[in-house]
Amino acid sequence: MTASVQLQDVTFAYRSGHPVLGGVSLTVERGTFLAVAGPNGAGKSTLLNLLAGLLVPQSGTISIEAANIRSYRQRDLARKVAVVRQESIPPFGFSVAETVMMARTPHYGHWGFETQADRELVAEALDATDTAPFAWRPLADLSGGERQRVFIARALAQDTPILLLDEPTSFLDLKHQVEIYDLLKSVQRDRGRTIIAITHDINLAAQYCDRALMLQRYQGPEASAKPVGSRASTGQCRIGPPGAVFTSAGIEEAFGVRVFAAPIGRESVFLPLGRLARDAGKMDLQPAPENPSPPPVN
Amino acid sequence: MHRTLSPRTLLLRVALAAVVLAAVMLACALVGTERISLASALSGSDPASPNPDFEILMHVRVPRIVLAAIVGAALAGAGVTLQAVLRNPLADPYILGISSGAGLGAILAVIGGLNWTLFGRSPIAAFAFAGALSTVWLVWMVGRVTGKFHVTGLLLAGVVVNACFSAVIMFLTSIARSQEVHATIFWLMGNMAEEDFLVLWVSGGSVLAGLVALFFISPQLNALSFGPVEAQSMGINVRRTQFVAFAVAAFITAVAVSLSGLIGFVGLIVPHGVRLVLGPDHRQLLPLSSLVGAVFLLLADTLARVVVAPAQLPVGVITAMIGGPFFLVLLMRYNRKVYRLT
Repeated sequence: MTASVQLQDVTFAYRSGHPVLGGVSLTVERGTFLAVAGPNGAGKSTLLNLLAGLLVPQSGTISIEAANIRSYRQRDLARKVAVVRQESIPPFGFSVAETVMMARTPHYGHWGFETQADRELVAEALDATDTAPFAWRPLADLSGGERQRVFIARALAQDTPILLLDEPTSFLDLKHQVEIYDLLKSVQRDRGRTIIAITHDINLAAQYCDRALMLQRYQGPEASAKPVGSRASTGQCRIGPPGAVFTSAGIEEAFGVRVFAAPIGRESVFLPLGRLARDAGKMDLQPAPENPSPPPVN
Repeated sequence: MHRTLSPRTLLLRVALAAVVLAAVMLACALVGTERISLASALSGSDPASPNPDFEILMHVRVPRIVLAAIVGAALAGAGVTLQAVLRNPLADPYILGISSGAGLGAILAVIGGLNWTLFGRSPIAAFAFAGALSTVWLVWMVGRVTGKFHVTGLLLAGVVVNACFSAVIMFLTSIARSQEVHATIFWLMGNMAEEDFLVLWVSGGSVLAGLVALFFISPQLNALSFGPVEAQSMGINVRRTQFVAFAVAAFITAVAVSLSGLIGFVGLIVPHGVRLVLGPDHRQLLPLSSLVGAVFLLLADTLARVVVAPAQLPVGVITAMIGGPFFLVLLMRYNRKVYRLT
């Protein structure tokens, strides 16, 4: 297996100064489904924008498909990485088919029109996401779940080995959340794409991802140097199989909430319970099942 | 197989619109205060026995009709482009301060009492052109400082520069003599006059070149409608596209403004009208809006010259009076299809 995405000691701070990512190193193998979780402000979206080439780290290197991200032109990077962001709808009413076709814009012929190859890629993307039946409806007329599938279709039509998603299931109801995850899983499995999805839904992500990344707020160089608690920690991020990263201790440490945990089968579910929650007391009665072995650290 | 806009459909529609434009040009050439006969006009003229029909057609009607077509096409094309890049349906060619910059240039020329000519044009035109372009440049520089893709910064800079320059214009008009004020106000209202053929060739050529350049970035404009970040992720060179769009739109607007003053509404409603009927794809929207803009301004100007003949109305009055209600009807008929008004 080869690395699809690799970060080496990446540090990033916005112009205002406070560093968001402090020396993050991680490797995502080709064809992996990686779920990225963590509290607000931990730098999940920053990480995504770095991988999309929209931000440039102050130090460290990012490799995409074995080449430094700085060596790509925007157009070439868009052949490697496609991004699905939280909804961005234009003020003009493009149809579903037109929207998905836009992924092919950099590859149009000289007169600004798509080629046969572009049309085939788009048709395939529409089929894969089940958006073909409403390909001619305007984007604005769709439900949130349908629209999210259209944006995933557009990312697929970009025909990239890597797919980045920023909270693909926020604002969606339960059925649509599951549909999106099933879709992503099938894209990963059937097409061998690398999927990196930011999510707040740890329970759902644990059911689908191969690897999980828990990102914490950067606490400064001192915090990252010393081990936290009994676990060896690189400070800001922990990566590993979902069962090892998504533990009640890990979640409590990252988010600062107490969680009720229960195993389902191969994975567990976690329910955060606040002080006034009706079953808040349950957490004391039933200690969360903890993974006996220390989580592997990458 | 799902087909989006095909080159054939586009060519067909552009050709159709061009034929309509040609027909309207011909019809408008025959309408006017003086009745002229096409047959007689086409028989030509020779210096020995001047043919009045020919003289009126070639030296009065045709130049003005061509001028209206050039200005209409430029304003509508610039409107389409700015609405796309600014992602704002309210954008028009004047939104980035062009109107006030041109106005300021014009009033400076009038007050300065300049009376030289350039290519047979009064200094008002040259000053308006320079004022328009330098204002857009100023707005662009200010907007750039506000952030990488900050369209909001650009819009705000445009609005503030507009307000500031308008105040300077008002100050200058209030200290100027009334005769000069009248000339400026008439210019600001937008007005067509008969132009020299050289001026028409130069300005028509530059507007056409600008529109062709914009057509070549029209697929990128589609992607940019989703926002700069999305467009960049799709592999679009956002900075270059934005720069070309702003520079070319500003240039053709400045050409139009220096030819005919500030004609409102064309650049706002023609793009919307075409979009409501044919959809938002800029590869189609841009050429067709330009052609429809030419037809629209041509008709408005013909009305302006015959309605109160032998006097003439400023054409800007007609575009607003007719264009407004027409647009509202379109909006009520089609809005659910194209705009997100929920």
